[in-house]
Amino acid sequence: MGLFDAFDASGSALSAERLRMDVTAENLANAQSTRTANGQGPYRRKEVVLQEAGSGTQASFAESLQAARGVRVAGIVEDPTPPRRVYDPGHPDADAQGYVTMPNVNTVTEMTDLIGASRAYEANVTAMQTTKAMFARTLDLLK
Amino acid sequence: MAKDGHPPTRSVLSVELYDTTQLALEKAIEGAAARQQAIAANLANVDTPGYQRVDVDFHQTLQNAMASGGEGLRGATFSPQRDATAQVRPDGSTVDPDVESATQARNGLEYEALVQISKARIDILQSAMGTK
Repeated sequence: MGLFDAFDASGSALSAERLRMDVTAENLANAQSTRTANGQGPYRRKEVVLQEAGSGTQASFAESLQAARGVRVAGIVEDPTPPRRVYDPGHPDADAQGYVTMPNVNTVTEMTDLIGASRAYEANVTAMQTTKAMFARTLDLLK
Repeated sequence: MAKDGHPPTRSVLSVELYDTTQLALEKAIEGAAARQQAIAANLANVDTPGYQRVDVDFHQTLQNAMASGGEGLRGATFSPQRDATAQVRPDGSTVDPDVESATQARNGLEYEALVQISKARIDILQSAMGTK
């Protein structure tokens, strides 16, 4: 262990939060997409599932340090909430009743998620800066 | 020269280069570093539902180790423990980013202070040895 493990933990969070921002951007970009690449109905909102990295067992000192690890992306899942139905008879994808099945993307939710991911990213950058400052201090001992 | 032919006995001050205080300082630095790692892990999992925060209570560990002197200090180890007392969020996580940031700032300053004091003591030794 050591300060470098703290770097790894913060680093894993940076990439995880960046992925969350990427997925949120994809959701927003496809908020009006009534067709998906595979042709199966409208776009479905995607979400990143985060999981704690490492095992939680605390058998030995070396193993207990595994408890203080970073985060890992368990997967990207589709939001199962039903799609919105909008009355728009002129739309090429409208059904017989004139309703269009729109993606289950709520732009307000996405913006909130985006701010959350951005703040979490900042918090982890700060953690990294603190770790770096601490390590630089230790090097002062050699002067 | 004393009467019996032996040199006069002087009271010799037992000098250890690294006394208990220096050892305690080094261990405290180690503890603060372990705590920083725990806080970094907590902040990394700020968006992980159900995550239980970890912390390193190195003050308590040091206090216990100090009771048995230098030997106890040498064997002191710091390991992160799950913190069951923290408030639980609606998603089951116990990480409060504000609390973590505040703890991190405090721990960072504490680390800096420990290193400064440690360096000051080493500087004293160096000037005594005439290497500075």
